Amino acid sequence: MKRMKKNRRKRNEVLTAYGFLLPNLVGLTVFVFFPMIYAFYVSLHDWNALSPKVFIGFDNYVEMASDKRWWASVGRTFLFTLIYVPALYCLSLFFAVILNNLKQKYQSIARTMFLLPFAITSVISAVIWMFLYDPRNGVLNQLLSSLGFDKLEFLGSTNQALVSIVVVILWINIGYNMIIFMASIKEIPKDYYEAAKIDGASAWRAFRSITFPLLRGTSTFILIVTMIASFTVFDQIMVMTSGGPASSTEVSVLYIYKQAFEFLNMGYASALAVILFLIIFILSLAQLRLYTKKG
Amino acid sequence: MKLWKKLMTIGFVLTLIVMAGCSSDSEGESGDVVTLTFSDFHSEGDQEFFEGLVDEYNKMQDEVKIEYTTTGNLTDYSNTKLPVAFANNEGPDIFMTSPGDFQKYADAGVLADLSPYFKEGVKEDFLPSALEAVTVDDKILALPFELELLGLYYNKTMLEEANLEVPKTWDELLAAAKKLTTDDVAGIALPTDKGAYLNFVWYPFLWQNGGSVLNEDGTKSTFNTPEVAEALDIWGSFFQEGAAPSKLQIDPTDIGNLGGGTAAMQIVGTWAIPMLESEYADGDEFGLAPIPIPEGGKHATAAGGWKFAVNAKSEHVKEAADFIMWAVGDDKERPLEYVTETKFAYAPRQSVVEEGKEFYDKGLRKVFTEEIYDSAIPEPKFGAEVVDAVGEALQNVMFGGMSGKEAAKIADEKIQSILDSKK
Amino acid sequence: MKLRKSTITIFAIVCGLLMLAPIYFLVVGAFKTPDSVFDLSLRISDFTFDNIKQVFAETNIVRAIFNSLIVSVTVTVVAMLIHAMAGYALARLNFPGKTFTFGWIISTLMVPFSVIMIPLYMVVQNLGMANSYLGLIVPMIFNAYGIFLFRQFYLEFPKELEEAAYVEGLSIAGTFFRLVLPLSKPIIVPLTIGFFTANWNNYLWPMIINQKEELNVVQVALANIVGGGYETEWSVMLAAALISAIPTFILFFIVQRHLVEGVKTTGIK
Repeated sequence: MKRMKKNRRKRNEVLTAYGFLLPNLVGLTVFVFFPMIYAFYVSLHDWNALSPKVFIGFDNYVEMASDKRWWASVGRTFLFTLIYVPALYCLSLFFAVILNNLKQKYQSIARTMFLLPFAITSVISAVIWMFLYDPRNGVLNQLLSSLGFDKLEFLGSTNQALVSIVVVILWINIGYNMIIFMASIKEIPKDYYEAAKIDGASAWRAFRSITFPLLRGTSTFILIVTMIASFTVFDQIMVMTSGGPASSTEVSVLYIYKQAFEFLNMGYASALAVILFLIIFILSLAQLRLYTKKG
Repeated sequence: MKLWKKLMTIGFVLTLIVMAGCSSDSEGESGDVVTLTFSDFHSEGDQEFFEGLVDEYNKMQDEVKIEYTTTGNLTDYSNTKLPVAFANNEGPDIFMTSPGDFQKYADAGVLADLSPYFKEGVKEDFLPSALEAVTVDDKILALPFELELLGLYYNKTMLEEANLEVPKTWDELLAAAKKLTTDDVAGIALPTDKGAYLNFVWYPFLWQNGGSVLNEDGTKSTFNTPEVAEALDIWGSFFQEGAAPSKLQIDPTDIGNLGGGTAAMQIVGTWAIPMLESEYADGDEFGLAPIPIPEGGKHATAAGGWKFAVNAKSEHVKEAADFIMWAVGDDKERPLEYVTETKFAYAPRQSVVEEGKEFYDKGLRKVFTEEIYDSAIPEPKFGAEVVDAVGEALQNVMFGGMSGKEAAKIADEKIQSILDSKK
Repeated sequence: MKLRKSTITIFAIVCGLLMLAPIYFLVVGAFKTPDSVFDLSLRISDFTFDNIKQVFAETNIVRAIFNSLIVSVTVTVVAMLIHAMAGYALARLNFPGKTFTFGWIISTLMVPFSVIMIPLYMVVQNLGMANSYLGLIVPMIFNAYGIFLFRQFYLEFPKELEEAAYVEGLSIAGTFFRLVLPLSKPIIVPLTIGFFTANWNNYLWPMIINQKEELNVVQVALANIVGGGYETEWSVMLAAALISAIPTFILFFIVQRHLVEGVKTTGIK
């Protein structure tokens, strides 16, 4: 009798799970997966979007191997990710911990302050920052020269442009990620900290042995999502530099976009996209492995 | 429980609204009226002009109905909206094309031959060079309606205060730009971002020095020459020596750089004049001159401008072609209104220029008419990848610290390989 | 200890003010005359409503805001519901093919939008959804991001609550809708902000899929002003930007109170 009930429960569980997943599976298949497969199909063709496709097998992939500009863009994407992901992670976690220690009243004020940049569209945020970054009389340079420093070129310099863009994207996203961290920190039972306090642990110690380990799930999530986002970063770069100056901010998606829509090499662009997808896929998988193994 | 209920209610109400929105959009097409789509990117005054044309046309006859839409944004129009639409066989019947993307549409065969639709004598009325720029294999694949020329605009007061003559040579231009540069004012405002416009502004320098990108029949790159290298170097010096800002706060096509006082000189097109007059009308504050030339060079300026195109895959090529011919290829009033009232440009039709004669002598326009017009060369219609390779060469000398010679050599190889692969 | 707390408070507020500085320039610029917009000093003589008026005069912005609200709210509400369901199934329920399904869903995150834009247009066109609210809404609902975050949340959700519900004889679905979902506020609130903002600010997709002026969303309507027209005043651009951000600001202030509330698990642990 009990066994039968358990079996029924089990069947019920499976059915419920499929039922819960169904809308998303259908939607993702139709609106993401199918277009993705289609992109792969296109990648086997020479297609300029305007005239019929010509099947050329894997020629696009062969061509890619010797496309220096493409591999340079991949390198730049890695560089961008290496700067952006750790910076976003550390800063949003740092401020989550800081804000969490504030009194409720100040906490909500500070939270709103950090979150507001998130409301502004990527295009507009790019516009505002171009104003701040202006090499002649932008706010930042006015500030620098009043402090006695040399003016910087920011977006106009091949060395500074990428970092300048990272700062803008950090500015937009810190608040949001901070809030996700704060939500997880709130889930940590208070008595853990009280116990640590009684043991005489310092704040840093408490963070390292309680907060940080217990945030593993959230950390994994934020790191993976941020990494994917930074591999597919596009809007702000398009508006602020469109890949310049002298290609110093031409990341992979931007190059793919140029191949597809500026040069109308849809087939080739799709092949690049497939490879970019594989790169991201492998990296995410490796990251997931790393975290689950440790845990 | 409560939250769940709330969500359901909101979801339900929204579904109703959405349904209502959907059901109202099926206003059926009536009978035998031909509906044409006209996709544009213009905004503000230009948009009003084209909207006005469409309205007038729709009202004066009842066989064809034209639906006008505009993105209001050029980049999205030519790099996103049109390609996506064409790729899905949903291309508009009527659209706009410029030298920057003409070639890719021509190669793909989506531009309809307009030759059969010209009214008696109109073809001869067009400037030969303007039609030549849109002709492939004796087929006229687009209809030009404006010629925009480039000139050097400058701030008279600033030049006077610095004790400078209006520059006539490259060296004078560079020296003046350096001298005029202060903490608040850029010596000269030039485009900085890679793209067709950057090349467009640079071409006069190239041509004045006797250089070219491709040979006559477009089969070979001619980019690796001392003439090209020198033209690249002079551009590089503006940026490397800090006389031209590496980033502009205002779009380089916008005369606001000069008008607002953040630049002492700016190379920009005919379109800037109405703006300068209406927004920055401080009397004789601003002057205009031909673009300076190298020692021993000869004057040249680039003539750009948009063209009407008809989708060759449209079911109604004739009706679409009839409309654009009516709009700018028939009487003189409509095209003249556009190039004189809506904006300032030259009409590519001799009779229209003739009609607007007195207008072309007003204010700064006179400089264009008398000193610049004759040296105009239509912007070449290169494929997008060649445009990009030229742009890369410019970026390399402007920001990459390369010499003109190195940049020209790299671009030359790139261009040649592009040409070879297209065969 | 007291002193330290106030130091931290001051530090946090100062950092918060730094975060706000760019927005300050946005707001101030929106009310300045075109000539003074680059001038950092504030003078009452530079103050003007003209920019705001111009935005309202040149675009049908009221209708566009209405359209954007319909799209963003619908996407957000539907997405929250179905993503929570999927996230819950992936975190809590056992069924064959779970790991694969999860991996598959996550892999859809890795596709840059600009790459699938053309096929997506094709799909939506063939479903007859182009030029309608449906075309603007439906493709934007499906996004692995929400599923991922819900799953992460439910993994750490206290099991005891559900077990108690099962004992009471509630079905799995019943437990989820009556008990779990209402307690998911800590994750629903930030995700609502995320989805609403992303859709409110979406530009590329509405631009290509819709040709009808009456269905223009805010960002598309504003592109007529902000986009590369021949005359673009900075002050007008900033005013347009400010108007477009206001609904999101309002949303932030409304949900602000509910942000960062822990699951009330008192008495269970």
